[in-house]
Amino acid sequence: MVVLSAARWVRSRLTDRFWRVQEVLKYARHFRGRKNRCYRLAVRSVRRAFVRSTKARREKKRFLRALWITRIEAASLEHGLKYPAFISNLLKSQVELNRKVLADLAIYEPKTFKSLAALAQRRRQEGFLAALGDGKEPEGIFSRIVHHH
Amino acid sequence: VAKTSLTSPPWPEVKLPDPVEEAKYHAEVVRKVNGLISAGEYGRLFAVVHFASKQWKITSEDLIMMDNVLEAECGDRIRMEKVLLVGADDFTLIGRPLLGKDLVRVEATVIEKTESWPKINMHFWKRHKFQRKKIIVNPQTVLRINTIEIYPCLS
Repeated sequence: MVVLSAARWVRSRLTDRFWRVQEVLKYARHFRGRKNRCYRLAVRSVRRAFVRSTKARREKKRFLRALWITRIEAASLEHGLKYPAFISNLLKSQVELNRKVLADLAIYEPKTFKSLAALAQRRRQEGFLAALGDGKEPEGIFSRIVHHH
Repeated sequence: VAKTSLTSPPWPEVKLPDPVEEAKYHAEVVRKVNGLISAGEYGRLFAVVHFASKQWKITSEDLIMMDNVLEAECGDRIRMEKVLLVGADDFTLIGRPLLGKDLVRVEATVIEKTESWPKINMHFWKRHKFQRKKIIVNPQTVLRINTIEIYPCLS
């Protein structure tokens, strides 16, 4: 006779419970306290650890960028320039180095960073001169000086 | 005209050096650097290269790992063309924004193409029976920078 399903009195028992539990506990082995041994506590801790690591992967990018900016600011202040002046003038001189590389240069290549700071300073001064214009008085009506004779 | 708070700008007055003398100084510097390059009197060169949408500061015999696939077999030699900066101990060549291809040559070899360690992406919303777990494995490529060369064709 052909039997497609098991008979009703046959029950199946879970045989790989050990391995299912170890899958979770292996991520908790370096935790502190009972949550590195007891499954019920470990499940919660491991779940929180995974969620925190996913969120941290997004925040690591923000954190590293802030760190690079702090380092570049410190290095440019050593050369007498503030960070916004340095970055804006570098971009205006068409030097498109990102903050990661600028921070690395500031640490490992001080001479190169000094030359970049000098470039930014020179571009800043040229910008000031360009903003001044001719130095003549404007030809408006209200700004005209009235001469009393 | 009477002096007000707006007659002179708030920044200190700057004087740029004489343009003729500056041009002479620039030509002198370019000649010196060209001489140094053609004589080969530089030590180790470093370069800033734009590769795989990231900027890397590299030297020769450097290892680089990219988090994506490169369409080149293991052992292929690759030339990196977007060079932003090249420097040695005494001089640096800054590109605006890139340096010319006839000026710098950066060569690399593909060493390894592997996958990253299995990263776990998990979302959990407490008291709402919401749980998602995903294992992400990124393909990675490892490159070794063989050489960085510069040629004396400055002007």
